[in-house]
Amino acid sequence: MGALDYFVVECPEPLGGEYYQRIVSTVLQDHDLVRVVAKIHVFIDPAVPIFVATGTTRKLPGLVSIRDFSDLKIEDHKVTISIANEAYLAPLLKILWDRFGQARVDQPDRLTIIMPLERDESEGLPDVVVSDPSEALYKDLIYAMQAIAPEGFKVRRQYYGNMKFYYVASENTLDEEINPLLSEKFRLMGESL
Amino acid sequence: MILVPVTYKGGIYRHDEIVDLIEDVGGYIIQKHFVAQEVVLQALVPRDDIELIRAIGKPLMGDIIPASLVGTEIAVVTMSLEIHHLPHASCDVAEYIRRNGAKTNMVGLARGFGKRIAQLNDEERDVINEHDLAIFMLGNFEMCIEKKLPVLRRGIDVPIVVCGGPSKEALQKIIDPPVSGYVGNVGRFMHRTKESDEIEKLEEIVAEITRVLDIRREEIAKDPLSVSPARLMDIITEQIPDIQDVTSPTPITVQVAGLRIKLPYDMFAGSVRECEIENGITIGAVADVMPSRMRDYILVRIKPFSDTNLVV
Repeated sequence: MGALDYFVVECPEPLGGEYYQRIVSTVLQDHDLVRVVAKIHVFIDPAVPIFVATGTTRKLPGLVSIRDFSDLKIEDHKVTISIANEAYLAPLLKILWDRFGQARVDQPDRLTIIMPLERDESEGLPDVVVSDPSEALYKDLIYAMQAIAPEGFKVRRQYYGNMKFYYVASENTLDEEINPLLSEKFRLMGESL
Repeated sequence: MILVPVTYKGGIYRHDEIVDLIEDVGGYIIQKHFVAQEVVLQALVPRDDIELIRAIGKPLMGDIIPASLVGTEIAVVTMSLEIHHLPHASCDVAEYIRRNGAKTNMVGLARGFGKRIAQLNDEERDVINEHDLAIFMLGNFEMCIEKKLPVLRRGIDVPIVVCGGPSKEALQKIIDPPVSGYVGNVGRFMHRTKESDEIEKLEEIVAEITRVLDIRREEIAKDPLSVSPARLMDIITEQIPDIQDVTSPTPITVQVAGLRIKLPYDMFAGSVRECEIENGITIGAVADVMPSRMRDYILVRIKPFSDTNLVV
């Protein structure tokens, strides 16, 4: 996959490794993650057995606040929110209900919300964070790793954040020796955990 | 009269003439289905009459092609029904075999995945044993196949064809005792088989299954069945009208040495046993009528000549 900066599948069985190279490539493309992942190193040893996927992501989109997808009109006793992107409507409503109570959140039509709020209550409202796209992307990434890993490897540990992720899976319990292995795989990519 | 498995594909218009012709020459229609304006017939026809059927079918835009697997029921055993194994490669293989005339059933194991943790339960074992052949769709690693296959094949007494990621030679080396057939370089993959080399692999699977089933058919020929399964299908269709109400694509599935009848065992087993084949000989006299472990279907196992001293 040319779109990735680093893509290596390491396996003691060379033919098995080749098959997994194709599986990783197919799954990342199918889940639309090729542009998200920058580097990925997959290590599979069926003898142990263990599956380790380590990687880094490209810069992910930032947090989405109310001002990013709607037009706010703050008056003395009233706030009107006109929503431009319906995708954020449900999480926004949930936040507003939790904060002000359902009785004070009026929705005369699907894309308009009117709330009888005083100036002090509406302070900072435009900057309220509604969604974190990176959260969904990381979830997709871990889901993709589950699809790539051999199915029998049910015991797993996963991590994501700070533009890095790892996914370790095995049939057996995972012990502390995993940490040096993870560090080594990150080092091979020129990164550190 | 030697019956040859074939597939007839042609237009719907006047296709009943072909159906009548196949029946008149002594052949049997195993399966008939309609795809848009086309009809597909899976049939067993006398070898000498193939050209006649071809000639009559030609003006009806029909063609007759050999389909080696018509009249067989094959279990495609996949290690689980998770996204790891479905739709690729298990469905790709099942679908391709079906194109060659076989009735395939996907058997998704409850705990077939893993190296150390793989298991086969008694229901899965019995269901697999009701088929003519089982294809085991295994994974990419030699080490895993070597470790888990002995567990998965325990109690399976039908021929097994193993598909796995390692080469055919490697599979032959690691599988002990040997199985009936091997197809290498078809392990776990998650893309659709559409490249020419992938289609060749599917062809190789069909060829291997055909080879294994031919050996089975040769064994049967040494001690022939008391009645042909296809003939039995016709008799049951004629004498048990309830079979017409079954909505399954194949209400009666023809196997190499038996049938699966998709009617409840408790209600219909007696009537099946009493069906007369000819001259007072009933199905009960030439076959074992047993409950199937697949739903509440009826399984008919035809006895060989050596058991019954009868060939009807």
